[in-house]
Amino acid sequence: MPEGALEGVKVLDLTHHISGPYCTKLLADFGAEVVKVERPEGDPARGMPPLIHDQPGPDNSLLFLYLNTSKLGVTLNLKSDRGREMVRELASQSDILVENFSPRVMPSLGLDYQSLKDLNPSLVQVSISNFGQTGPYRDYKATDIVEYALGGLMYIFGENKREPLIHALHQAQFRAGTNAAGGALMALYHQRRTGQGQHVDVSVQECVASGLRDAVDIYTYTGAVRHRAPEASGDMRRMRKVSDGYLLPTPSLAPNLNWPDIVEFFGAPELDDDKFNTPTARLVNTEELGQILDRVFLTKKKAEMFYAAQKKRFIFGMIQSPEEVLADEQLEARGYFVDVEHPVAGKLKYPGPPYLTSGPPWQARRPAPTLGQHDEDVLGQRLGHSGEDLARMWAEEVI
Amino acid sequence: MEGVRILEMGQLIAIPWSIKMLADMGAQVIRLESCQRLEVYRRSTMYRDRVDGEYWNRGGLFYEHNRNKLGITLNLADENGRAVLRDLIAVSDVFAENFTPRVIKNFQLEYEDLRQIRPDIIMVSSTGYGFTGPWANFGATGPSTEGASGLAFMTGYKDGPPVQPEIPYADYTGGEITVFAIMAALMHRMRTGEGQFIDVSQAQATSSTVPEALMDYAVNGRIAPRMGNGHPSMAPHGCYPCSGADRWITIAAQDDRQWQALCRVLGKQEWLQDGRFSSMDGRLENQDELDRLIGEATKDWESHKLMHLLQAEGVAAGAVLDTKNVLFNEHLKERNFYQVVEHDPSTEMPPLPYAGQPWKFSATPAVPNKAAPTMGEHNRLILGELLCRTDDELAALEEQGIIGYAPTTPSQPPIQPPLDEQVRQGRVQRYDPDFQEQIARHFDIK
Repeated sequence: MPEGALEGVKVLDLTHHISGPYCTKLLADFGAEVVKVERPEGDPARGMPPLIHDQPGPDNSLLFLYLNTSKLGVTLNLKSDRGREMVRELASQSDILVENFSPRVMPSLGLDYQSLKDLNPSLVQVSISNFGQTGPYRDYKATDIVEYALGGLMYIFGENKREPLIHALHQAQFRAGTNAAGGALMALYHQRRTGQGQHVDVSVQECVASGLRDAVDIYTYTGAVRHRAPEASGDMRRMRKVSDGYLLPTPSLAPNLNWPDIVEFFGAPELDDDKFNTPTARLVNTEELGQILDRVFLTKKKAEMFYAAQKKRFIFGMIQSPEEVLADEQLEARGYFVDVEHPVAGKLKYPGPPYLTSGPPWQARRPAPTLGQHDEDVLGQRLGHSGEDLARMWAEEVI
Repeated sequence: MEGVRILEMGQLIAIPWSIKMLADMGAQVIRLESCQRLEVYRRSTMYRDRVDGEYWNRGGLFYEHNRNKLGITLNLADENGRAVLRDLIAVSDVFAENFTPRVIKNFQLEYEDLRQIRPDIIMVSSTGYGFTGPWANFGATGPSTEGASGLAFMTGYKDGPPVQPEIPYADYTGGEITVFAIMAALMHRMRTGEGQFIDVSQAQATSSTVPEALMDYAVNGRIAPRMGNGHPSMAPHGCYPCSGADRWITIAAQDDRQWQALCRVLGKQEWLQDGRFSSMDGRLENQDELDRLIGEATKDWESHKLMHLLQAEGVAAGAVLDTKNVLFNEHLKERNFYQVVEHDPSTEMPPLPYAGQPWKFSATPAVPNKAAPTMGEHNRLILGELLCRTDDELAALEEQGIIGYAPTTPSQPPIQPPLDEQVRQGRVQRYDPDFQEQIARHFDIK
């Protein structure tokens, strides 16, 4: 197998669910050796929908299969002394340890950063948690909707007169995973130069709150509390329904556009009117303009108008469904979707490299591990425990 | 990141923001700007809406995305400007840009060009759809790449159209993966001495965060409907009204225990007797009715108070913080998340808090903050001390308009409607005439 960019980096992965596994997936797909430790009953993400043909089974969660490519998998019961001892053995041989328990768990297992540091001073420990390792909310529970609320993104998301909204799926978790992976490598860069390890505390709330464009600056600069913007029907940048979906005529159509070009591009002579040919006029007659635009767009086809706009260097965007993303010619040309063969799940199509590089490439090095698949390779061969030892641990429900 | 030098030719968010994250952690960043083509973010979100004088040094969007960087101006249309750029490339570890491939080709700044100057350079290009492929030169914005990724299609109220947040969201997902990509390349270079070209597509990076939707279609031929604030396997899971204007709380009852605690806190023990709600399956099946009932029960509560009571009982809940609440949030204050940054006296701006990093490092914390550079602030430092240009040479560069301190064709920022009018339009929820005093008090700014 060709080397990865992170060849030789050893990662001990104590994570579950989404944020931590996405972090270690990024490291693993770019060449780090990641040992994923699961509790004997498995990462709860093994049961997360959607499942292959809706069939339950520990290797049927599409999310789990995606999030755990390229990793070795072992099981360890961290509630047992023996299990924790094995974690310490693995940690003493690792560059990076990633965990996403709630902040009280690692210390309660005797695996607090200070003890691990005593064991391995060059260890980089990355802890991902809902609200960070300190502060009054550190034990608060959260899912994405709570993180969006307390991270400030939800208030400016959705319709003006309705309840605020969140993104579908698990965006806050994925962003935390990405940031944790970047942070892990910054700390590793320092470790490789100085030998010094450290603790990196990643807060999902702060991942959301750190990227709000100028929403908070508008308050610190002017005293205004930004609201979910009301619908301005004649706003040229507004998402519009077309005959087969939605288009985003955003945003450089406004405000300095050349109106006759637009009239021609839309093929809508009724827009060739003093009521619409200046930004001020469009603001005054926004309702009427909006009605015309709605009508005009409904006669258009999404991809046709998107390509025609790009040809004229108007920045248009398309809302693509998952079906369309899978057929997207741009992603196709970039080799985005890859087939991964899993011993139980079979061969499936996975989203591939998050970016391309001329250096050592992204690679799904192996499919997600089945539960305990590498117990013997890692605990036996690597740590030097005998087959007898492993059998005893199995009997004692350590693995 | 001490000892790493990054040369940034960025604009707007995607590259400036990711390089800011590295600057925060100690990389030396030299940001290139053009006096001939003013960075749009220098004329957006003006301090106190002032558009007079050197307005280009008062743009909030610029300050938000460019702190801890050194700034120089350079006219790349001129051969002498390009010569300076080549000298900078020769002493840089990373070159980062987010222009279209067409522009980069025109300036002869492709990876192969850069390698002639610095063989182990790491070049990162961030574009809407990628540096290669049939869409390479398509113009893009955060909303359009979010649209292309599949994320926007899945998001929205039940039975409504797709909805996007009011920030160019995919710029941030693309920016975060860029930080990772640069770090992975630096690790590789440390081990092998080799540089590389990194090609970030913001749309592709965002698609990588919606794998379950893409694989659900690839494997099961299914596209899940938009579900608003709902969750496929959890109910209640939503956003409910609270007392006050536009006040809300989010609640996610992850299991039966949390559901029972929720009923107790809301004083609705009778819901525990309701057979429809006794199991997660039942609550999922009857979630519309459940959401209605919960909304009735929360509407007289103060959102923070209810959040604290629910969290004390182990229920995942969060008040929906508006853009002032988040700035003043007690937890973020305790973690010193918003950090006060001083501005150059010429800007006549007081020190102001800005959002910090998504992480805390125990051994190598973020550097003490320095505000984003005023235009051309470090021309003399970089060209003089780093590139050893003499005073005469610097004067000549200024004379030729290759470096400068102000836009050559000023274009004043648009004048915003008065805040009262913005409130009336609904763009602004409210405003505080005494915001400066409130901020100074909360952040202890003298």
